[in-house]
Amino acid sequence: MWAWLFQRITAVLLFLCLALHLLLTHILNIGNLGYENVADRLAHASLTAVDIILLAAAIYHALNGLRMVLMDYWFGRRNLALGLNVFLWVFGLAAMGYGTWALWPWIS
Amino acid sequence: MSSKPRETANVGAGLWKGQGMWAWLLFRASGLLLVVYLFAHIVVTSMSHFGVTVDAAGNTTSWYDKLMEFFDSPVAVVLDLCLVGVVLYHALNGVRIILMDFGVGIKQHKIIFWICMAVTAACVAIFAYVAFYYLANEIGPWSSLAEVVS
Repeated sequence: MWAWLFQRITAVLLFLCLALHLLLTHILNIGNLGYENVADRLAHASLTAVDIILLAAAIYHALNGLRMVLMDYWFGRRNLALGLNVFLWVFGLAAMGYGTWALWPWIS
Repeated sequence: MSSKPRETANVGAGLWKGQGMWAWLLFRASGLLLVVYLFAHIVVTSMSHFGVTVDAAGNTTSWYDKLMEFFDSPVAVVLDLCLVGVVLYHALNGVRIILMDFGVGIKQHKIIFWICMAVTAACVAIFAYVAFYYLANEIGPWSSLAEVVS
């Protein structure tokens, strides 16, 4: 039940954060996206926060969606599903950690 | 355990086949594509950290700038536009699904699907305008607004 619920919650979060991200980065700043331009945007704490939320919601939503597809075809049995869940959680947390490390200069 | 009659597989709008099935299939395909794109994007963007140099005037550059030059080429801009289309399709059909989870619009699922496609087309048109304006003029149509935000 929680996976179903969080898939929807992260979907709504993604919709909002992604709309903001696409507008700011790819419409207003098209052609300008060098290191300095991106770093200047991340200097605003609110935009860094949006990026962190985007990262977490996107990783959860993507891996959960992947889980749904995989369980439809190959991982339907209970013990296989458990292994898949463990793998996806580890991968997701690792990806989140990696992304947070990449954003660390602007978080601190 | 007795098997249930076939009709209970319906959600009230008839057994999904035809358009409903294609909507589901495209939804799944776009989702998988976006998963791949997401992790590629995370890796590439995080690598902007590497190779950062500060020159005498205090300007910070990194090899990320050279990478962004590739992404300004027409091929990359058009591919990015297709990506936006895929994202919008997936998002709007996702909204359609969430509405149906609440019981809204089950009987009208075909019409709502086409409404979603229309909104997707409209938004892609806006992004296409930005993309082709940029390719023609080296600057985006609303880039002056970027000053307002920063």
